[in-house]
Amino acid sequence: MNKPIIEARGVSFTYEGAKAPAVKDVSLSVAQGEFLAILGRNGSGKSTFAKMLNALQLPGEGTLVVNGIEPKTEDDCYEVRKSCGMVFQNPDNQIVTTIVEEDCAFGLENLGTPPQEIRRRVDDALRSVGMSDFAQASPAMLSGGQKQRIAVAGVLAMRPRIIVFDESTAMLDPIGRRDVFSLARKLNLEEDITIVWITHFMEEAALADRLVVMDGGRIALEGAPRDVFAQTEKVLALGLDVPEMMKLADALSHAGVQLPKGLMTVNEMAVELCRQAHRDRPATTRIDAEPSEKTETTEESAKDCVIEVSHLSHVYMPGTPFEARALNDVSLNIEAGQFIGIIGHTGSGKSTLISHLNGLEPSEPGAVRVDGIDLGAKGTDLIAVRRAVGLVFQYPEYQLFEETVRKDVAFGPTNLGLDKDEIDRRVEWALRQVGLDPDEVAEKSPFELSGGQKRRVAIAGVLAMKPATLILDEPAAGLDPAGRRDMLDLIRGIHDAGTTVVMVSHSMDDVGRCCDKLYVLSKGEIAYSGTPAEVFTHDRRLHEIGLDVPECAKLARRLREAGFDMPEGVYRTEDVCAAIARNLNAGGDAAC
Amino acid sequence: MLKNITLGQYFPGESLIHRLDPRTKLLATIALIAIVFVSQGFAGFLLIAAFVIACAASTGIHLKFLIKGLKPIFFIIIFTFVLNLFFQTSGNVLVRLGPVRVTDQGLRMATFMAARLILLVVCSQLLTLTTSPIALTDGLETLFRPLQAIRFPAHEIAMMMSIALRFIPTLMDEADKIMKAQKARGANFETGSLIQRAKAMIPLLVPLFVGAFRRAEELALAMDARCYRGGAGRTRMKQLKFQGIDLLAALSLAALLAAVILFNHFKVF
Repeated sequence: MNKPIIEARGVSFTYEGAKAPAVKDVSLSVAQGEFLAILGRNGSGKSTFAKMLNALQLPGEGTLVVNGIEPKTEDDCYEVRKSCGMVFQNPDNQIVTTIVEEDCAFGLENLGTPPQEIRRRVDDALRSVGMSDFAQASPAMLSGGQKQRIAVAGVLAMRPRIIVFDESTAMLDPIGRRDVFSLARKLNLEEDITIVWITHFMEEAALADRLVVMDGGRIALEGAPRDVFAQTEKVLALGLDVPEMMKLADALSHAGVQLPKGLMTVNEMAVELCRQAHRDRPATTRIDAEPSEKTETTEESAKDCVIEVSHLSHVYMPGTPFEARALNDVSLNIEAGQFIGIIGHTGSGKSTLISHLNGLEPSEPGAVRVDGIDLGAKGTDLIAVRRAVGLVFQYPEYQLFEETVRKDVAFGPTNLGLDKDEIDRRVEWALRQVGLDPDEVAEKSPFELSGGQKRRVAIAGVLAMKPATLILDEPAAGLDPAGRRDMLDLIRGIHDAGTTVVMVSHSMDDVGRCCDKLYVLSKGEIAYSGTPAEVFTHDRRLHEIGLDVPECAKLARRLREAGFDMPEGVYRTEDVCAAIARNLNAGGDAAC
Repeated sequence: MLKNITLGQYFPGESLIHRLDPRTKLLATIALIAIVFVSQGFAGFLLIAAFVIACAASTGIHLKFLIKGLKPIFFIIIFTFVLNLFFQTSGNVLVRLGPVRVTDQGLRMATFMAARLILLVVCSQLLTLTTSPIALTDGLETLFRPLQAIRFPAHEIAMMMSIALRFIPTLMDEADKIMKAQKARGANFETGSLIQRAKAMIPLLVPLFVGAFRRAEELALAMDARCYRGGAGRTRMKQLKFQGIDLLAALSLAALLAAVILFNHFKVF
């Protein structure tokens, strides 16, 4: 093992005014050239520890040596920051200037580096992250993933030995996420930069050299990803998740399929299962053809539809050089009681579409109907529309504004012109619906609550308007795995209570688990629609437009191609498990 | 989508004027304004106008952009013109409407003042059309640097301006999002009395301010992490350097000034 570049011994830190320490007695050593992932639920002390690596925070107790320096004086801190760069979560809030290359130069300018040297290093750094073509661009024009690459270039220009990524992929879509992660991996392998990767995404953590799980400020688990994730129950109890394949392996072992421990990726699982199948019987060479490229255009009867969209198009800033077509001839029907999923990458038109469903964007007559009301007609009663369709935007906690939770939740019902008693009843009801105790939180300021609670309050604010249809844009974005599970359970509960739900997401796993019908948007058009199973049969095309099918669906395809008898479009863990067990046990009972 | 609007009115290009040092352009604009005030007759104005139009033509910027910039002050120009027309009463009477007299000197004065205003605006337009906000900030910072000796915070002001420029599109985008979110909750920003409408802004402004503070905190941390510690000991990747074209600009301005002074001296109007 290489010599350690980070050496923490008994490090603790308590924020001023906090009762419990944020980081407690952490001892950890990171080797030069290692790719270390840190996991842990919100508030587990990950970010505080990360700030100490960059000397933005100094340990209260214990010693922390980074690249041979134990920061004591201010000058030491700058030395540490030079050798240990940091990429933060929000891509917008770490770019300082309005021109990409000037932002990359910012760190070196602060260090007083000579201009020619800055120029050289900035060009190198931009090349390393593949953003040379954007050197003169304005950051406002870039996507989230591109902004994060700029942030990496800014750090890279300072020639650090270590880069800390503090949830740098949390706010990105799948393409951006893959992009930034593989960039970190590349820098690790090619330039021998030590990476500390903090994340909520298990599939990223699974690819690290070593994993550290933090809980309550301490290190709870540590080891190779395989060994850590193999302790499934412990990991789940720490508010995390295990990679999908490990869940499947668990289910398979209950179904009587014996597997070696620690299979983590689709590839490993497929290879192992094929090996077992070949042992049992000869492989068949049947290879399924790619399913025919057709878009399901089942014309539903319009009588039960709560929302009808027909031939909706939307152009931003027509007639200017910035003209952009956000939606093109989109038609869809949403029936009462359905759980609809709308998926698409950033810029596919998802947000524009849902804005139309609530009358926030002006539409042509006849293009959008809600409960029979034509939103394009003159003098449409928008309050009636907003009573029928509730809309929860992405990161809804950022729209809270009142002094107390009660007042904030009451904002919507008050705008509907309800009387005071009814408003009070609804506020209490809505808070209970989102799993909060009105007696406990109603009189608190919404700004005192934790991130997850804030989001629940914001959702309650829309629920209190008692909409028949609830639309949620990325309701689980940025939450830790446990928060994510809770949020999806919460939304399922709202649906089960009789509300029609439309959930916008770029997580195929989430929509696959919850929805009974999916619409896939790409470049402003509906590329596919149908049940999740129908949509997931187009896995190759979906991958091309930047979306990924659930891991189990990928495995099912691999196995089908290898001659397994797998039903079309199978994607749920339990279904895939049952199908595999049927194949291997040759008709044996599957207890998945 | 608001973020796609370019800030200010910078019109990107590669012309000589675009490539001038921002300091030159700032000083040249001040000089041009001074020359406009020096000129006492229309001949001088015509010469200055010819100079400005030639500059504008060389940048590839359409004349209509320069004229567009006059729109906001159109009313002021008319007001100045009318004021001078009616209150300058000496000279030969041209038109008499009851108590109101329009004289030849009045007409001359009114036209002169209006022309001066138009020229002033067009000159400053030329600066903002050909200089990016960031270059302007750099230019101002360098020009004011000597004043740091008397504790004038040139670097801090420039840094603040640059961060403001960076975050205006982001905050505009955020305002748009919050507005939509509150509208979805039945908020009404469009109708009602003035007081009602002012009150309706609270659900927009509170989250916007909270968000701005959150961003500011995160940005400060990110700047710390990249070793920012104020202007002392800082270098810049892009050094402002005076070049041949800057000298050329200075010389042509000097020639213009000389011509205008000559016109004044020989009373060429």
